[in-house]
Parts: sequence; structure tokens; C-alpha cells
Amino acid sequence: MTTNTFVAGSGWLYRFDPRAKLLLMVLLCIWFFLPVTLLGLILVVLLIILVGTLNTGRKASFKTFMSILPMLCIMVLFTPFNVRDGKAILQVGSFVVITEEGLLQATRLAWRFIGITYVCTLLFATTVMNEVILSLRWYRLPYKGALVITLAFTYIPFIAESFSQISDSHRLREFDEKQRKKLFDRVKDLLPTLTSVLVAALRSIPNLAMSLELRGFGLEGKRTNYHTLSAYRHSFTHFFLSCMIIVVLYYIARVR
Amino acid sequence: MLLAPFNQGKTTLAKIMCRVCPKYFPGEMKGSVCFYERDISVLEPWQLISVCTYVSQNPQELFVANSVEEEIAFPLESMGLSREEMHRRVQEALRTWGLEALKTSSAQELSGGERKRVLLAVMQAIDARFWLLDEAFDDLDEHWRLILKQLIKETGKTVLVFASRYLSTFDDLFDRMLLLEDKQVKSYEPEALLPRFAVLCKDTLPNPLQAQVLDLHHTHRVTADRLRIERRRVSTLSAGTFHLNVDDFSLQSGQLVTLVAPNGSGKSSFSRCLCGLDDSLEGKISFDGRPQDSKELSKKIGYLFQNPDLQIFLPTVADELAWSMRHLGRSRQGEIASCAKLFELDLDDTPTTMSYPQRKALQAAVYYLLDRPFYILDELDSALTYHTALSIIARLRRNGAGILLITHDRQFANKVGQQSYTIKEGRLLRV
Repeated sequence: MTTNTFVAGSGWLYRFDPRAKLLLMVLLCIWFFLPVTLLGLILVVLLIILVGTLNTGRKASFKTFMSILPMLCIMVLFTPFNVRDGKAILQVGSFVVITEEGLLQATRLAWRFIGITYVCTLLFATTVMNEVILSLRWYRLPYKGALVITLAFTYIPFIAESFSQISDSHRLREFDEKQRKKLFDRVKDLLPTLTSVLVAALRSIPNLAMSLELRGFGLEGKRTNYHTLSAYRHSFTHFFLSCMIIVVLYYIARVR
Repeated sequence: MLLAPFNQGKTTLAKIMCRVCPKYFPGEMKGSVCFYERDISVLEPWQLISVCTYVSQNPQELFVANSVEEEIAFPLESMGLSREEMHRRVQEALRTWGLEALKTSSAQELSGGERKRVLLAVMQAIDARFWLLDEAFDDLDEHWRLILKQLIKETGKTVLVFASRYLSTFDDLFDRMLLLEDKQVKSYEPEALLPRFAVLCKDTLPNPLQAQVLDLHHTHRVTADRLRIERRRVSTLSAGTFHLNVDDFSLQSGQLVTLVAPNGSGKSSFSRCLCGLDDSLEGKISFDGRPQDSKELSKKIGYLFQNPDLQIFLPTVADELAWSMRHLGRSRQGEIASCAKLFELDLDDTPTTMSYPQRKALQAAVYYLLDRPFYILDELDSALTYHTALSIIARLRRNGAGILLITHDRQFANKVGQQSYTIKEGRLLRV
């Protein structure tokens, strides 16, 4: 029903207090929208990717990028057409197709998107889900709210996993190895796969509800915790570092 | 034990008993169910946690947490146990079911048998008064079947096992055996129950594989040479990297080969390589002596997943059978109709509402139409009666296809296999 987003490792990010990591994630997501230079934005995103790769490995880092690639392509392709202001780069007669401003906006949007994706992925890839829940509860979020958030974050990979399994099975059902499919056929063939994924996802809803209730979710009385965050002994340092990272990055990359 | 052929309502009965049906699986229900003199219709499922634990036939549907350890701890947290007590119970359950090295693994990275062991570990940790086991022995290999048998014997709890096949492991295990027949639970004398059950499952009919005449006008051979397969569980460091070596494997047209090996030994990894879904690190797979790439393999070797629902997705049986042939540009209606007849399917039926054996038959029919020279059947028997499974194999094989059958059930393997392989210490060996 759910898929683990955790990638086992022993890098420094794994030893970082999850509460501070959660704060750093939120602050970095805000940072991407601050008035910073494009070069600064790109360098910070590259730094985040580098940190992610060093901690979770090249494969996991590449997988994250591939998962957002289709969305990124759509964004980069269509954003420039929506911006009409600024110096024209491509013009057909009197009709301005692409402007310099449009290109800059598309680039900034794409890097922000990559950055936010990597920051969120890194949190869940380097923190076990129970510690994410404990951290959210430390910030006074009720248990049900914390559970819903973590289930949502694991449900998306579950759907991605189903998509991959169903695609595999459809690939095995192709008739002829010599047949070359046109682009339109390939797109058309996506429909049954997506339908199957949707059916699998819908079917899993009552199962998830059943499982939670059979595991005692709903019982009155105080719920206890198997895990604890007490092993993280340098919380203050980690919180301080999280805030300082944001301040320093902003100071370096701000628009002067 | 309650014995019943498939689709007689065992799982529905189990879900009614743990109060989730008709709550989440709609239907009409009359009468009442009492546990220890308490009518459960006035209770919610979570109130039964210390009374009854349900182990479902499909382990995947019961996973809520993201790792094995969290899965076992989740109900204990709900029960409000102290951390020390939870730790003791979790460690004990992990130890009993051999899951210590997999404790941070996610369900997605576990094999079918390992998932079943996680559910059994959860059941052991909760320590409820009543255990409800729906086909709990099915995905387990012989070693873990014996462990479960031992646990049931020693526990002193009330245990109800639902089964659709009588396994030799069941000998001397149960105080009472019942039969679900014509939607009624019936009690028979022990010596009369198993013969009656065999009749219901059609196991008394002749084995359809015996004396089968094969149409072998084209013979092929698939071989695997010095394959080295690697798989890493990304969610855990303790389980290390999994390796499987295949020095020599071959399958010929018309041949029926079985692969019987322990849970998590790499049966599915090998199958995925053989049919071109995954690549091996080293070695080659050849078809009639010619090395094949993964794309070529996927068109020559059909792989029937354990779960048919991953391979069927269209609104009707007719659409499903026609899907793979849509690019051929010529009508194959006659062929489709005769295939449906052969597999006893109705072309207008809706696959999602069909029974499990029918969905398995449809899955097999799809591949039959594709006319692959070889098929891998992944635990075909785990949810079918022997007779149904044997009938499906016989139909797939009648055009001379070579078949690799993966199973945990030696009884079944002995019924079908002409040659057998196993996996020991990361190496595929001919038995």
C-alpha cells in the first residue's frame, strides 16, 4: 500500500536532527522565492544536488531528476510563450513568440522546481518515516495530521511503483519484436497503463482504511512511540546551522 | 481448519469476522458474529485488536508502515504499550521470523514469502487471543511452514486457518477440520472430509498433463550461461547486496521445469532477467544458441506475474484478448473466440468482477494468444486448486511451449515437473 522513500546510508545528513532538517527544508523552499540572482539560485540548487548525491548516491539522485523530467520539459517549453514583455528574441512578423524576459522566467522557474523537489526528496530519503512523524508532532501537529502527511508522501511513490510494474507487464504483452510504434501509438498505449494505475490506486483506498483500523488506529487512549528522537544530541547546533545556512546563502546570492 | 475451494467466500468470511466487511467491502449481511460472547456488530475494527488478528491472503494489502520494524511496532503503539515492552515484542517477532536483517526494508523490496512473514510477525507481536489465518501457509517455503506449524502448536491460542489446499504440513495440527461447501460450513468425519474436498476441487479428475500430446512442429531452446544477477535493497544497509549466480540453465520446447526454492532466494529476480525485464551483470541468455538482448527476450518468453491484476486492465475479456493483437491490422476474432472457449471464458465478462481463477485463466489466455515459445509461471498454484493450475499449464503447453514453473509446493512440483531446479547459497542448481 505504501512505498518507502528512505534510502539507507550513513552520510552526515542521516545524522542531522530530523526536526532541524524539517525546518531547513521549509526555509530552503522559502529561500527559492527570495530576490536572489539567477546564478546564485543555480549554484545553490547544484550544491543541494551535490549534497544529495554524496548522501544518497548517484542512482537515487538521478532517479529524482528523471521523475520530474517530463514536468520540467513542459515547464521550460511553455513558460516562455506566456511572457510577452521585454526584448524579443524570436518574432514572426509583428507577433513576438519568445522574449528574453520569458526565457529568464522559464529558467528561474525550472531551477526553483528542481531545487524544491530535491530538498523535499532529500528529507524523506535520509529520514525514516517514523522520525518524520515524530518531528511533525514535535512541531505540535496532531498525530492524525502527521500520519496523513507521511502517508501522502509515500502514496505517490506507491503509484509510481504501480505504474512501473504495470508498464512492465504491458511491455511483455507486445506482440511483435519487429513492430516499430509511432509516437501517437506510444501515447495511446499510455492510456491503458494509466487506467490500470488509477484502478490499482482506487482499489487500495478501502484496503488502507481496513489495515489502519485493524492495526488499532482509532483506539482511544494515548498512543505511544516506538521510536524516539533522543538519540539526536546536537539539536541546538543543527537548528542554528539550519538558520545560518539560509542567512549565508541569502547574503551571498541576494540581488544587489 | 476451514477447507474450501477458491471463491467460496473464505476471505469475505474472514473480513466479516474482523469487522471490516461490510464496512469497507459493501454487501448485505444478516445475523451476528460473537467473539468470546461479545457481539462484534457493536464494535469497531480497532476495538478487536487484542481479541483477533487477521493475516490476509494478500500481504501487500495490509501494509501501512514504511519498514518491517515500523510495521510490527505500529499496532503496539496503538495499544499504548511501553517502549520497553514494544522493543521486546518487536525483537522477538523479528527473530522468530528471520527478519532482523530486513527490519528497515520497505514492503516493496520484500519477496512474497518475506511479506507474509512480516504479517505473521505482526500477529505474534500483537499477541491477540484469536488468530485468523487466511491461506497463511501459501507463500511460505517449507522451513517457514514448519515454523508456523510449531508456533500454532505451542501458542495455546485459538487459531482458525482458512485453506484451499490440503498441505502435508497440516497433518496432526488441527483439532477440528471443517468444509465450506455450497456456502455452508459443514462438519465431516476426518476420513470422509479429505475425499469430499478432493471431489470439490476436482482433484479426483485425471491429471490433464498426463498423456498430453503436444504440437511440437517447431522446437526451440533457451539457455542461460554464467549469469550473475545483483539486486540491492536501497532501504537497508544490513541486508547487503543480493547476488544470484546461474552457471547453466536450459529449457526446451515442450519441457516442464520447476523451480522450488526458499523465500527471498532470487526466483523472481531470475525470472525477470530471463524474460528481459531486468538485465544481468554478467553472462548471456540465448535463444536457439543466439544471444538475446532484453527486448528480444521479452517477445519470446512470457512471464505470468503472480498477481494477475497487474496484467489485465481492459473493460471486457474480448478487449483484453484483442489488445495484444491490435497492431497486426487484421481480424483475429475467430482466434480470440476459440481461445476464450479453450480457457472457458465469456468474451463479454468484466475482468475486474471475475473470480480469481477466472482472472488467472484470462491472464494465461492473453499469453496463449501471443503464442510465446516459452512461459514462466510465477507461483501459479498459490491461489488455485491443483486441478485448475494443471489445466492452465496444459492449455499453455499444448502448442509445444516450454514452461518454467515457480512454486513453493513440492507436492505440486512433483505432479508437474520433468526436471527441477533449486537455489542454494545464491546459486541456481539442477536437482
